[in-house]
Amino acid sequence: MTAIAIVGTGQTEHARRRLDVSQAGLAREAVLEALADAGLTMDDIDSVVVASGPAMFGAVNQPEKWLVDALGARYKPVVRVTSGGGTGLAGALQAMNQIKGGLAKRVLVVAYDKLSEGALQASISTLYDPFWGRDFAVGIMGFSAAYWLARIDTLGHSEEAAAMVAVKNRKNAMLNPKAHVKKEVTVEDVLASRPLCWPIKLLDVPPISDGACAVILAAEDDAEAITDKPAWIRGMAYYCEADNSANRTMVQSEPLKSAAARVYQTAGITNPRRQFDVAEVQEPYTCFELSYYEGLGLCEEGGAADLIASGATAMTGDIPVNPSGGCMGANPIGATALIRLAEAAMQVTGSAGAHQIDGAELGLVQAGGGWANLRGVAVVGSSKD
Amino acid sequence: MFELILAYLPFVWLTTRMTSGHRPRVAIVGSAQTQLRSAHRDRQHVDLIAEAVTQALLGTGLTIAEVDFVIDSGSDFLDGRSISNCGFLGAMGAHHKEESRIEEDGLWALTYAASKLLGGTGSVGLVIAYSKSSESDPRDYWSTLAEPFTQRPVGLDHRSAAGLYAQRYLRKHQLDASDLRRVSDRAWSRAAARDGNDADTVDLDTPEWDEQVATPLTLRDFARPVDGAVAVVVATDHVARQIGRESVWITGIGSAIDQHFLAAREPSSLPAAEAAARSAYRMAGIDSAADFDIVEVSAGSTVGELMVVEALGLAEAGSGLDCYADDGHAGLNVSGGALPADPVMATGLVRLHEVVGELAGRSPSADGSARRGLAHGTGGLGMQNHCVVTMERA
Repeated sequence: MTAIAIVGTGQTEHARRRLDVSQAGLAREAVLEALADAGLTMDDIDSVVVASGPAMFGAVNQPEKWLVDALGARYKPVVRVTSGGGTGLAGALQAMNQIKGGLAKRVLVVAYDKLSEGALQASISTLYDPFWGRDFAVGIMGFSAAYWLARIDTLGHSEEAAAMVAVKNRKNAMLNPKAHVKKEVTVEDVLASRPLCWPIKLLDVPPISDGACAVILAAEDDAEAITDKPAWIRGMAYYCEADNSANRTMVQSEPLKSAAARVYQTAGITNPRRQFDVAEVQEPYTCFELSYYEGLGLCEEGGAADLIASGATAMTGDIPVNPSGGCMGANPIGATALIRLAEAAMQVTGSAGAHQIDGAELGLVQAGGGWANLRGVAVVGSSKD
Repeated sequence: MFELILAYLPFVWLTTRMTSGHRPRVAIVGSAQTQLRSAHRDRQHVDLIAEAVTQALLGTGLTIAEVDFVIDSGSDFLDGRSISNCGFLGAMGAHHKEESRIEEDGLWALTYAASKLLGGTGSVGLVIAYSKSSESDPRDYWSTLAEPFTQRPVGLDHRSAAGLYAQRYLRKHQLDASDLRRVSDRAWSRAAARDGNDADTVDLDTPEWDEQVATPLTLRDFARPVDGAVAVVVATDHVARQIGRESVWITGIGSAIDQHFLAAREPSSLPAAEAAARSAYRMAGIDSAADFDIVEVSAGSTVGELMVVEALGLAEAGSGLDCYADDGHAGLNVSGGALPADPVMATGLVRLHEVVGELAGRSPSADGSARRGLAHGTGGLGMQNHCVVTMERA
């Protein structure tokens, strides 16, 4: 099997509103940083995969076509993958397949969202079936709150445990130069914050951001020629489950388990808690990070509240989760999944700066989207195997 | 420049890989489409998708359980629905499988599926594309493709873009707009003779077809948006041999995009289509477009179709119309192409389905002589993006 590595990463200055750039300018900013990181130019890139959130967020249909001029991608293959919030990872997966399948040698993945330009929750509400789902849809928050309530009852994912996720990630974001929300909070602050869709409260929710991330993938010897610190992708998968059927469990995510099982098998992971040095997960709300702990096998079912309380997932713990601050530091939705991958790559190559986990060699990445029915997992390492 | 940086290096490397060892090949083992019609008023998206998927699997001996992954194409803007694939995953048979949505014409979804099989990720893939443009106004879909600052405010959309191309193309090659009738007349008569669409129910003698909608083009020069779905089953050679049915093999894949800013593009040709074709031909080891017995191209307008035909190398620049003469290219758009029936987002994959039908002998018009085929897909404002897939019968 062809070994594929991340040879360059870049991120924009994320912000609530980037009034100084267009969508195309935003994407270009991240791409320039990734190219500089890899020491490459667009002439060295065979193919471009663009990933962004639902196009209605930014009110431009098929926006990848607009980016072409700003990216210098004329006459190259350019295609866009859209898979909700996890789309950045779905884009990276397509890039991997282009290389593995021999259709390209070096692929640039750029993921972005400029959420200041559209009506976010209104756009998300159109996710629901127009006949029976849309009348009572409340953006993405309504069903997420329902999920969480079910998990509070069955798994003990209490409001306090979720608040600890907010405290941890917001604290970690203080060290990340790319995070734009930098304000520490306490568990009491989170619990006392305004309910938006109970039990989801204001401080359980990440910011809404403008931002982009770019990652360059290459294979084997080529990757090693480009950089002396490639981050090898040891496995990646992106699974789905169909519609809101009656038998769909709201307690554990089945596509997350499928994706993790597939990737762990490829990467030789049998004890995730012990083997991984660091994890980057995409938490649209705090309650989801708790759920991922269990779905990814970092603890047993019903063990997430104890895991966060133990401090194991803090920067100083044995399995730090989201040293970047996760979505709490910056949340340009279409880019967040690729940011998780880029951050994990930075960790295993020792280039994460102030939020570096010392000696990290193996990183876990999780992302997802849709109505929590699309779930992706990846493993990156400092060595090929 | 393009040759060197994009096509040459990767494909030398690719060719080496393809010819050494047990490199998997990709076969198209099944394909099907619903009828393409102006409106499927009594059926939802899921009904159209499920019909195409069920029919594509028929005759392969495969069930949905044996499909490893699903790649689909559709448009949030046309569907009026964010992440619209989420609503159709059940009908697509994607439940608990790997699935990805390509928000581009379905031919690109096919190339994604092919790359997964070539790279060893799975052995059976399902590719789906659909369109239900009757539920929205496709003109909004087209106009929102233009970036919002400089092009959209001046009214640039697919019609005005095609009109600008037509003015420059016709002037450069000293042709008259009435010459374009040869393209549209042949397209509609061929489509009307087939069961897969409702072209025979359209009255083309009414005055609106000759109204100028983007000088010098009339409505007759533009593709007619229709509803429909198409599904294609792809498999590795190992699985294809077990199926034992007449398979069609993918031999070449290429895609390339032009700049978005229309004024920066070539005035009367489509170099991105040419670049896409060049990549596919190189991968297939084919020297010229004359090698293809069957060619199905997508285009938003008559003049667009001529420029595609020329970019693929079927005719010299300005001579595309020769293909439509009585002694022209009989195997070009046997189905009628995209002009009489354009299921936006699915059009290119329908073209591939048509090629497969001819090569595998499943199409009523197939006479068994066609061996090599080409399918072309396009997307974007003024046909900015192009994809070419070449195929061969065993």
